[in-house]
Amino acid sequence: MAFNLWHNALELLNNVAKKVNLDQVAHKRLSKCVRELTVSIPVKLDNGSFDVFTGYRVQHNTHRGPTKGGIRFHQDVTLDEVKALAMLMTWKCAVVGIPYGGAKGGVICDPSKMSIGEIERLARRYTSEIITMIGPERDIPAPDMNTNAQVMAWIMDTYSMDKGYVVPGVVTGKPVSIGGSQGREEATGRGVTYTALNTLKHFNMDIEDTSVVIQGYGNVGRATAELLYKEGCKIVGVGDVYGSIYNPHGLDIAKLGKHLTKTGTVAKYSDADSIENKDLLELKCDVLIPAALEGQIREDNAEAIKSKVIIEAANGPVTPGADNILRQKNICIVPDILANAGGVTVSYFEWVQGLQSYFWSKREVNLKLRDIMTKAFYDVLAISEKENVDMRMAAYMLAVGRVAEAIKIRGLYP
Amino acid sequence: MLKKIECIVQPFKLEEIKEGFREIAIDGMTITEVSGCGKQKGHLENIKSDKSINFLPKVKIEIVTEEERVEDIIDVIQRLARTGQIGAGKIFVLPVEDVLRVRTRERGRSAIE
Repeated sequence: MAFNLWHNALELLNNVAKKVNLDQVAHKRLSKCVRELTVSIPVKLDNGSFDVFTGYRVQHNTHRGPTKGGIRFHQDVTLDEVKALAMLMTWKCAVVGIPYGGAKGGVICDPSKMSIGEIERLARRYTSEIITMIGPERDIPAPDMNTNAQVMAWIMDTYSMDKGYVVPGVVTGKPVSIGGSQGREEATGRGVTYTALNTLKHFNMDIEDTSVVIQGYGNVGRATAELLYKEGCKIVGVGDVYGSIYNPHGLDIAKLGKHLTKTGTVAKYSDADSIENKDLLELKCDVLIPAALEGQIREDNAEAIKSKVIIEAANGPVTPGADNILRQKNICIVPDILANAGGVTVSYFEWVQGLQSYFWSKREVNLKLRDIMTKAFYDVLAISEKENVDMRMAAYMLAVGRVAEAIKIRGLYP
Repeated sequence: MLKKIECIVQPFKLEEIKEGFREIAIDGMTITEVSGCGKQKGHLENIKSDKSINFLPKVKIEIVTEEERVEDIIDVIQRLARTGQIGAGKIFVLPVEDVLRVRTRERGRSAIE
């Protein structure tokens, strides 16, 4: 990553601080992470040798509750990246009003070159190294890049072995069989869908006349496509790393699902034209949903974007430079910390269910998710209209304001 | 958990909806002829706030079902009650505390199965 994510996050905080006239104490405290732990993780490899990996766990803020955030396994992980993502989690939890501060974890490794056994040993030893920091009342990890429900199960098991009793609430994103929540898997996509529908309603756009393009067809992109399709939207373009497809009359998402199961990609689907990945984002459509990686819409392609609305399903898909260009083009961007907060919201539900050992039906989970996402959307919209700022600034103003209030009310110890 | 689905639809859509329910094996329901209005106050032309309230004839369908079936039933109604016009209807989902079948004294799920 060329630019430093942490400096970027601080700059964003500084900009919001000016807008909301942020208290100096809160500003200073929020400019630092409360805890940063670097650990070395020795792991026996399958070939008999061993390697020592480096991992991090960072808690950004604890004023609104215990901290929450994913753990990623990736070769490009840096401490600054983990810190920035921890701060982002603070804002995300505050925007949707769930009682957490932000955290993040990461291990520098390339899981594509590791066996399942090696990944398990890595996950367990990493858990053991950060065990003093995590816990259901302290800091609750979740899946992120290259970690999944199985990895969460290993973390939960390692933590429980250490304590001597089962502690399901130490992680979220677990398999349902060991205390995971119904609806967790598709939660982010479902949250994106509710956000998209709220946005359409706000702009008086008819669902059935709405054309949608989705970049990324993993967990989030696929769930979003399927749910919006079911609502009646026309999904005209989708793409994954292998290629993109376009059909101006709308894709049959159910049929596309079968093609995906068979081939492992949406590329080369028969009832659509194959297009270049770079052209996908520039298709004419009403709603563009980047659901892949960060930094996809940049200064060099922002001018070519033709959608009316962008819903940020991925984290940071629009660079700050592109943001300015899109604002001038009058394209409404619903920011990541609002749009993709469905994942952490259902993680919160999972944690709540785990703490009370009483589990909800999928319908209950989905309805509660819809309530939270809808309330957050209208909270942000109200600030956007009142303060005459874009949705991103409004979301940050809401989030930073909520955390600052908690800091002020709790005061300074001692 | 038991839920009740109450929907208000256009009378001329009832037959199609009934057929749709049959296809997904919903066999118990209650139908009532009702009249009412929405935010248009029962006027078919543009909203004028000082207009008097006018009630239009509709049909109300009530179904008590298991929670897992709610979305399937909603799908049928949403698909078949559409008219492309305003006033096509509304669907409400309510919690039901209990159901009792008078003849057999069965309660809960078995009272509707």
